[in-house]
Amino acid sequence: MPDVEFTLEYPYTRTTGPVIGPFLTGLRDGHILGSRINGRVYCPPLEYDPETAAPVPVDLVEVGPGGVVESWTWVVETTPKHPFDHPFSFALIRLDGAATPMLHAVDGRVTKGTRVVARFREERVGAITDVYFVPEEGAPPQAPIEPGAEPVRLTTHLISLPISEPLQPARARFVQGLIEGRIVGQRSPATGKVYVPSRGYDQMARAEMTDADDVELPDHGAVSSFTIITPVRYYGQKETEPYIRASILLDGADSPIYGVDIRDIPPEQFRVGMRVRAVWRPPDQRDPSGFDNRQGGNWEQFIERWEPTGEPDADPAKMQEYVF
Amino acid sequence: MAFPSREVAIVATSQTPSYRHFDGPEPVLIMRCVNDLLATTGLERDDLEFTIAGSCDYLSGLPFAFVQNIDGVGAWPPVYETHVEMDGAWALFEAWLRLQLGDIDVALVIGSGKSSPGHPREAFPLQTDPYVLAPLGLDPVSLAGIQARCLIDAGKATERDFAAVASRNRRDAMGNPNAQVTGDRSVDDLLKEAYVCEPLRRHDLPPISDGAAALVLVAGPRARDLVERPAWVTGMDHRIESHHPGLRDLTTSPSTALAASGAGVGDGPVDVAELTVTYSPEEIVLREALGLGDGVAVNPSGGPLAGHPVMATGLIRVIEVANRIMAGSAQRGVAHASSGPALQQNLVCVLQGGE
Repeated sequence: MPDVEFTLEYPYTRTTGPVIGPFLTGLRDGHILGSRINGRVYCPPLEYDPETAAPVPVDLVEVGPGGVVESWTWVVETTPKHPFDHPFSFALIRLDGAATPMLHAVDGRVTKGTRVVARFREERVGAITDVYFVPEEGAPPQAPIEPGAEPVRLTTHLISLPISEPLQPARARFVQGLIEGRIVGQRSPATGKVYVPSRGYDQMARAEMTDADDVELPDHGAVSSFTIITPVRYYGQKETEPYIRASILLDGADSPIYGVDIRDIPPEQFRVGMRVRAVWRPPDQRDPSGFDNRQGGNWEQFIERWEPTGEPDADPAKMQEYVF
Repeated sequence: MAFPSREVAIVATSQTPSYRHFDGPEPVLIMRCVNDLLATTGLERDDLEFTIAGSCDYLSGLPFAFVQNIDGVGAWPPVYETHVEMDGAWALFEAWLRLQLGDIDVALVIGSGKSSPGHPREAFPLQTDPYVLAPLGLDPVSLAGIQARCLIDAGKATERDFAAVASRNRRDAMGNPNAQVTGDRSVDDLLKEAYVCEPLRRHDLPPISDGAAALVLVAGPRARDLVERPAWVTGMDHRIESHHPGLRDLTTSPSTALAASGAGVGDGPVDVAELTVTYSPEEIVLREALGLGDGVAVNPSGGPLAGHPVMATGLIRVIEVANRIMAGSAQRGVAHASSGPALQQNLVCVLQGGE
């Protein structure tokens, strides 16, 4: 079973406010601004007095572009989130005219007291990454900078974290079962309840389960709950027609499988208690990709559709405990 | 009303080993601790009147992982339950406050985390300033490197001192069955390693770990009923410094000193201290801020350099001190937890055995 690989992403857009806005605008336009508070100049600039936390009037002054290194680390092992893909220095840099140092990246080796100078990147978007520093001695010339038109009022930050882990053991056996056309659940040794898919434990009894607790369930059961989803349009929406998403209590199970797409039973005929059975995809069309360690199942990747068996309905009242 | 108005004690603790990778789900780690605590105390699940957990969904990458973690406690029947997106030591702080209200007596405190699925050095920049630091990918290893350099330049420590901290912790960890990084390696041997972020080498960094820890906190006479020698919480405080590293003196930890004062560290002798030394230079800063003399045993468990299940690491410090007090091998001890890069936020807890 291959590792679960995915990227957790949250795209953030933030307003910049009266101090960070001009600061980021300055970076885009080739200037570094500090804020003067009670006679001291802070860079990065602040909206408040760091001694008292009281709000202060906006009083921005230009600092740098040169400065002196107060402390540093030589980053030998870099991460993909760093400004450089080769070893570089993170340093506390006190820019000329500022009283406090700013933490930033230097493309090159430095030590305490080294003079560095800002270099603005060719492509600038109004972000702290528009600039980096180089040792002043032998610094390449700054390319000409074309100021932007509008002040920077928004900044975007894409949080993007790569995640990789094996399928958890119970989950891996469940997915392997689906590949083979079997539905594998687990019977709790503590309560006798049958969970499918199993989380690898009985959460009601706080009891762990092992492969000795695996049980195979039939691929038929009764509808225990459903909702009809009417697609609304949004970015990335692929659905156009209403469809059913159902929970099905497989015969012999004590927990329903849920999130099951029903595409070809008309909504007006669909009902709680309806007996249904799985129509499996041919073995070469069963697709385990995208399965992760969450509890839902991408059932449609293994089961083409669910069809009514024509048997008499199960008692809907008895389904109330198995909604989700 | 004097505060704290109620005496509160730790009566039982549990922790999983620190795993490089635990192949089961995070709730199982918690479940093992909870089952262990119930067996030790003889309490039933229903006796736990308030449950609070510290964890972070960013670590395992599963949104709402903290909700599923309740599986490890048993979600039925319902109790007062809450969560902090912080180390379990801060969950302990909230539970301690909660018990002061006087209407309930028994709280379960949990800290858990699985860092192995992700890349901690990529996730942790997200706790820094989102405008001027996070976009640089400023990670805690790099910041610890800068802090280490500040200590060296101030004449407070050398790379050899850092290696000595790592060497001692790994050796002490050999006696800790829950430790992940152990071994007897000399300082000279460690100093031959390559830098990760100069002046820090691999041994100055914590391992990547999965794990959980939990404890039962009980107010008043019930604590004495449950266990012969509870570990009384005599003081707890936490303080924070600026999120701009340039506005801090990284060679000291004024927030730790303030929290230590608030928690009453100096009110009596200290037999043992368990400190959240995530990077070896931090031990030098923390010893000074807490006023711990050379005679105080610091991190006899091996500390976070030997096992670092993020979000449980700080709570484990409390547990290591509490265990020694409950066992009678220490009378008074200090536990320290930290959050944020380069010791930005610090919690200090003082524990004491009965008179």
